[in-house]
Amino acid sequence: MIVYILKRLAIAIPTLLLLIVLSFLLMHAAPGGPFTQERGLPPEVLANLNAKYGLDQPLWRQITSYVWGIVSAFDFGPSFVYKDRSVNDIIAQGFPVTLTYGFLSFLVAVLVGVTLGAIAAVRHNTVIDYFAVGLSIGAQVLPNFVMAPILVLVFTLALHWLPGGGWRFNDPHFWVMPVIALSTSYMASIARIMRSSMLEVLTSNHIRTARAKGLSGLRIVLRHALKPALLPVISYLGPAFVAMITGSVIVDIYFSTGGIGKAFVDSALNRDYAVMMGITILVGALTILFNLVVDIIYGWIDPKIRY
Amino acid sequence: MKLSVAISALALLAAAPAGIAATVPEGTKLAANQSYTFWLLDAIKSMDPQINTDVEGSDILRNLFEGLYNEGPKGELVPGVATGFDLSDDKTVYTFHLRPEAKWSDGKPVTAQDFVYAWRRLADPKTASEYAWYMELMQVKNAAAITAGEKPVEELGVKAVDDHTLEVTIETPLPYFPQMLVHGSTFPVREDVIAKYGQDWTKPGNLVGNGAYVLSQHLLGERIEMDKAPTYWDAEHTVMTHLTALTINDKNAALTRYLAGELDRVEIPAGQYPRLKKEYPDQAISSPYSCSYTYLVNLSDKGPEALKDVRVRKALSYAINRDVIVDNVLQGGQKPAYNWTHWATAGFKMPDIDYAHWTQKERTEKAKELLAEAGYGPDHPLKLTLNYNTSDDHKKIAIAVQQFWKPLGVALTLNNMEWKVHTDKMQNQDFDLARYAWCGDYNEASTYLDFFTSYSGHNNGKFLNADYDRILKESKTAADPQPLYTEAEQILADQMPLLPIYHYAKVDMVKADIKGLPTENVMQTWYGKDLYRVAK
Repeated sequence: MIVYILKRLAIAIPTLLLLIVLSFLLMHAAPGGPFTQERGLPPEVLANLNAKYGLDQPLWRQITSYVWGIVSAFDFGPSFVYKDRSVNDIIAQGFPVTLTYGFLSFLVAVLVGVTLGAIAAVRHNTVIDYFAVGLSIGAQVLPNFVMAPILVLVFTLALHWLPGGGWRFNDPHFWVMPVIALSTSYMASIARIMRSSMLEVLTSNHIRTARAKGLSGLRIVLRHALKPALLPVISYLGPAFVAMITGSVIVDIYFSTGGIGKAFVDSALNRDYAVMMGITILVGALTILFNLVVDIIYGWIDPKIRY
Repeated sequence: MKLSVAISALALLAAAPAGIAATVPEGTKLAANQSYTFWLLDAIKSMDPQINTDVEGSDILRNLFEGLYNEGPKGELVPGVATGFDLSDDKTVYTFHLRPEAKWSDGKPVTAQDFVYAWRRLADPKTASEYAWYMELMQVKNAAAITAGEKPVEELGVKAVDDHTLEVTIETPLPYFPQMLVHGSTFPVREDVIAKYGQDWTKPGNLVGNGAYVLSQHLLGERIEMDKAPTYWDAEHTVMTHLTALTINDKNAALTRYLAGELDRVEIPAGQYPRLKKEYPDQAISSPYSCSYTYLVNLSDKGPEALKDVRVRKALSYAINRDVIVDNVLQGGQKPAYNWTHWATAGFKMPDIDYAHWTQKERTEKAKELLAEAGYGPDHPLKLTLNYNTSDDHKKIAIAVQQFWKPLGVALTLNNMEWKVHTDKMQNQDFDLARYAWCGDYNEASTYLDFFTSYSGHNNGKFLNADYDRILKESKTAADPQPLYTEAEQILADQMPLLPIYHYAKVDMVKADIKGLPTENVMQTWYGKDLYRVAK
């Protein structure tokens, strides 16, 4: 097991390097640069800027010095657009925000999704099942850029219960709408995956055996059906978890949270090479890490899988 | 002998205390809560005066710092750190007298050396400021050579005669020079603070400014909080005690939060002004704003042959029904444009442009005629492409224009692209027609007209006209440049290197109890120190 984990981590390093080089090249291939602006800059001004940010160097040298900065000092460089800030500053401010609402959304999505899916499967083809399926399809087809403004209209403008946006770590009122907007579609997916996998498990041999033994329905579901039924859900949760904690541009825009979901999209549009690389690496590293976590959990839940 | 300028030649300097700080009419009952919350579309890119390039960043800078002059409610110059200036006979040496009571937020006096340091810093290649060209635009002596690295920064034409006297030498007389001093990039900064904190000097706690407010919090892309500075020289007349800026990237979300009472001012999204004006007559406000919206024509070698024919350019311009764009698409009090300079620019006399007076029917007829003469029509369509950057409003206008041109036999392809790609193509003359907008840097027509000179760095359509260049050069030294500006506009109307579309308006919702915002200033420059909230 330990060997397996170490092996996976060793593979992660070349994977990340490849990610860095590819994104770096793709980014530089896009037309325009960080200093391309409406008022074309005089050549001498542009030359000064390129010199200051190392953009006058050949690409291979830019990549190597960038990677060296990360390896030697964990320095992701200065932002090319937010010039008073380093990439580390930007991530340090935005990531805790998205991590908070993302993690809460994850909890809500998993708890509600798994429960809803399991109940729907156990009460297959009953009113409860139809309700659960209807709810999850509704949640799936309602995109969060539609839901977010509706939430604001209802909870802020009509009821005056919640602030219409912004972020405070010390006031949960600010967390509610981002969490609802982000968790809903994940919750719907989880419910649907859970329902179909649960239905399959409930018709399998070991459940029939359990029923034959005369075990109670609840005990069968909790003890014998839940664990195997969760497997497909877990493989879905790895990437979903990373996507949620690194934030959503829609949530960041509608609720003005100052999170890194928006910062990521902005950095691409602004050609803020350094910020874009920084967040790409963060998301890449987290994805590799949580895929590994999922595989470890798999081994723990499914006795058939051993590393 | 030096010419003493008690009242500026431009008559822009308002008589002393009026216009400084909040001018609260007598008998006004002020609200207990003097805080103002305004809206920012995007995160502030920098709070460093010499690094900032954004209009929104300038809104913040004007509250944290103060330059030699400020703008009053109508855009007139009012004294800031400077109390007045003397101008040499050849009009190239300005001697500014700084007020001795001006202080930094840490209590130290604001000196002429602080300005010298800031101005040198702006031009210095080491700073690599995107606004370094502003020093060149101001014609400060040796600015261009210093930015190009050809001269040491010490040779910049700015010098501290003593702690409270600043001497600026410019290359050629510039009638609107004092007006350029309200720009954020000319604000003073503290050398010792920047040396101490480096890039982090603009963080709350580190930042030392000389404005009416001090920075207390800055969460990038979320909020900025500013408190009244007790050290500000005119703190006694500053009523508003707290300013908050909230970043909301979606205009409709911002409007919702305004309606929920979370903001005191927001922009009204296109098309919603008539409804809001009806519902909230005392809050929906439309006032002229110094920006001009246009389609640039590519006249360079890379541009299409057809557009080199002035008849084609005129036909295209005539056929645009600007009233429809302004009244049906934008609906926010914008004005149809038949020229380049914003109509409300100070001192600007609108030229008598022929087609501005015609009815749209006449214009369309004339357009058909001209296009037929040039050899195009429904049977022999003219194929063109219009580039525009992604935005609902640009799209709506482009579709309208496509429809206006269809009956003429112009097959217009709309080419929507991301902002940076659009800009890149435009600056490399890789377009037929390109959407463009220009906002005035200062309240004077040359900020628009310089754009189309052959030596301007912005002339993306490569319009080259010797007469035009000559007139603009002449205007720099003319006693009254206004007739020359009118003449230059006439050339633009005759040659049509741009298809003017509309002049901007600032269309906002402002809470009825907020007073002191400058609705008559076409630059829309505002200062927190001028604002106050009245009791309901």
